[in-house]
Amino acid sequence: MRKLSFILILVALLVAILPTTAQEATPEAAMGLPDFIQHTACEVDLTGETIPIYHLGDLSGSYAFITQPLLAGLADAIAYYNAHGGVCGAQLVSNEGEHYRDTGGARDQAQAAYDAFSSLDDKPDLLVLYASPDAELLRSQVAEDEIPVLISAGSVPGLYGEDAATPGWIYASNPLYADQLGAFCNYVSENPDRFPANPTIGYISWPGAFGEAAYTPETISYCASKGVTIVDTPEYFLPTATDITTNVQNLLDAGANILYTNSLASGPVIVAKTVVDLGVEDEVVLAGVNWALDTSVGLLSRTALGSDGLPAVNGIIGSLPFRWWSERDQPGIALINEQADANQRRPQDRNIAYLLGWGIVDTYAEIYAQTVNRVGSLDAVTGADIKETIDSMDYSPLGLYHFNYQGGATRALPDNRIAMMAFLNATGDGPATSGDDAMTVDLPDGTKAFIPILIPLTDFAPAPDLRPGGADVPAS
Amino acid sequence: MTTFLETNKRYLTTAAYILVALLLLLWLVPIIGGQRPARLIQSTVTGLLVGGVYALIALGIVIINKASGVFNFAHGWMMLFGGLVFYSFFSAAGVSLLAAGALALLTVIMALTMAGWRSLLQPRTALIGVAAFIVLTVLMALPGREWQYMRAIIGAITGGVLVGLAIERFTIRPLIGQPLFAMVLMTLAIAELLNGVTQLVWGSVEIPLQVFAWVGQLGLPQPIRYDARDTLGGIIIIRTELLFAFLLALLAFVAFVLFFRYTNVGLAMRGVAEDQRLAQALGMRVRVILAVAWAIAALLATTAGVLQGGATSLSLNMPLLALLAFPAVLLGGLESITGALVGGLIIGLVQEWANLLFPGTQAGTELAPYLVLMVVLIVRPDGLFGQKRIERI
Repeated sequence: MRKLSFILILVALLVAILPTTAQEATPEAAMGLPDFIQHTACEVDLTGETIPIYHLGDLSGSYAFITQPLLAGLADAIAYYNAHGGVCGAQLVSNEGEHYRDTGGARDQAQAAYDAFSSLDDKPDLLVLYASPDAELLRSQVAEDEIPVLISAGSVPGLYGEDAATPGWIYASNPLYADQLGAFCNYVSENPDRFPANPTIGYISWPGAFGEAAYTPETISYCASKGVTIVDTPEYFLPTATDITTNVQNLLDAGANILYTNSLASGPVIVAKTVVDLGVEDEVVLAGVNWALDTSVGLLSRTALGSDGLPAVNGIIGSLPFRWWSERDQPGIALINEQADANQRRPQDRNIAYLLGWGIVDTYAEIYAQTVNRVGSLDAVTGADIKETIDSMDYSPLGLYHFNYQGGATRALPDNRIAMMAFLNATGDGPATSGDDAMTVDLPDGTKAFIPILIPLTDFAPAPDLRPGGADVPAS
Repeated sequence: MTTFLETNKRYLTTAAYILVALLLLLWLVPIIGGQRPARLIQSTVTGLLVGGVYALIALGIVIINKASGVFNFAHGWMMLFGGLVFYSFFSAAGVSLLAAGALALLTVIMALTMAGWRSLLQPRTALIGVAAFIVLTVLMALPGREWQYMRAIIGAITGGVLVGLAIERFTIRPLIGQPLFAMVLMTLAIAELLNGVTQLVWGSVEIPLQVFAWVGQLGLPQPIRYDARDTLGGIIIIRTELLFAFLLALLAFVAFVLFFRYTNVGLAMRGVAEDQRLAQALGMRVRVILAVAWAIAALLATTAGVLQGGATSLSLNMPLLALLAFPAVLLGGLESITGALVGGLIIGLVQEWANLLFPGTQAGTELAPYLVLMVVLIVRPDGLFGQKRIERI
């Protein structure tokens, strides 16, 4: 086990040193936070008080690959902020059972966890959710209980209701999944040389609120207006699926030459593996939601290699609506890298969710600083006060993304960019062109681990607004 | 009119079934006819191979049911647990002698004391135990990558048997003679327990299990690909790892048919399943028989877990796969070995054919298997190969 741990740490270090632009971590003040973290100055001293971070979601089901690193990110960030003065002196806390609960992805468990939190005498002023199904389930309840919610990304019904026109109390830090697909269509349209002629997207995903969230009439018509067809028979497979050959062939027969997946972890891997198995990897481009570009996908894909010897997901294109681990010229990213190293986080922990965990904690700090300044004390803070702060806030948590809900008009941050997953080459200065050229780490089971890297293909730009009735939905 | 209906009820029902079947055929034939032969063959191949995995899972559930009448809801978690034990031995460069010895000792003691702790006092039994302990410990502690398969297989078998025996000894045995429902509820509790244990020991993240890497190293194609674009209008692939799972399911099927038909333990298991109290009264060693059944089921679960883990990965989703095998069990008949195999294959085929014929509908994953199950249960309430039971009330 020691050898295994050593190798995993080695992989982690390799991931951390990817960019040639790495720089020294920003020097910290003795007690306070680094200078680049520009929180609102505290007008009220909260020393001796605590700010709980309540959250609930699937920590042991299909989403565990994402949510476990989120826990790690939250834990490390909370420890770091508390060690550097907390929030105006108040300590952040998030203890299992008391402040967060595992729902296993079950609807009834999510409801039970929410009931437990919302029935507390001192009910949460702010809550964190992980997944679209939970957001859809609890949307009306959090509004009724006046508990604002932070979530990474969401579906139209979860954020805007069934009529898609009623912004609720749930705020997403990533663009809507539908908007991400729209942004991808923009990229296809603007870069025809990277894609087959007559680009046609076959939508293949997990069933459910998350998996189906991007396949909407609005995205179909928007993409069509950009010259990108979306096949009208989406394919869905269960996370337990052993073989999805029939699903993939259905889409290829329908004319798809791009396969877009709104799944995560093993989801994109099995799609890529099937494409390789069918021998059509040169004819089909893989694409997906932001989670499809996660570290976990790259690490899992070592079991499914393409004909070039690289993991089958090599070259998958998707959304990257936040800064990434390799952008260490960003002080926030440098700090997170440094703390992940200090806490000996494993390669699989260094993913999207770990970054978002830090983003959430920094956001909490700013939200509470602003709100307490306005209402005068922590005890006086209510969910409605927090919502007021969120609606008006213009802030960039650790530089990861830009937190601005346009005065409360929107519920998902629009900024997005397109990126591609590749694997580090043997010299460590760029993407590998084949398995022989790749940097690999020998694992004790006799197999090799490849090191995933993300290459941004565009700069940040607003994703199209593809809610029903959204500003960018083409007139029918 | 009423008399006519009553008198000819059987014939009318049969006629109605035939009419429905004909209408279904009339509806489906043009859809099937519109498919290219390569697609039909591919979906059939995939369906059979995936069905093989279902059959292997169903077999484990049926074994327990056949021996004790209990529907084991923990089977999916036993699969994951066994797969993870295999992974631990497979991925480590070596296992400490102490850990291997502890696992071997526990398993040997549990196995030798199936009939009671006094068995240990018999010199012959004790001698066998010591020999088994030494052999297992040495095999599990073999160092180096060249022994990883041997180490992992022996480790997984030992771990699997230990889990099966422990479940029987500490949770099922105390309930012998109690209502079956209590035992079924106990399996639900076991599922939760195994859920907690797996998360505690191995965490919640997916683990790739490259157990089929040797296929590529031997130069065998992975997958087997047949380019039939000119003749059948497409490419046909057979995923090697699923082919192995399928062949293993067939092998297990043959072995268990022979086991239940020709061995004393197998026959005794059938007797115990009929009536535990009566079997005990007749001098059958119900405890031993139940323990053997649970050990066999745990081994089958471990096998399915390793194969499924190799085909995809080891994740907390794996137990959900057992839910897909439940229709296979019910379809084939709760206590039928043949039924488990046929049920698994039918469910696999139905899923893939529904995916093929109704693209974009989720009919394959969400609807078709359960529809077929419903229809079969209406026509044959005990499943295709289940025993007809008449309850006298």
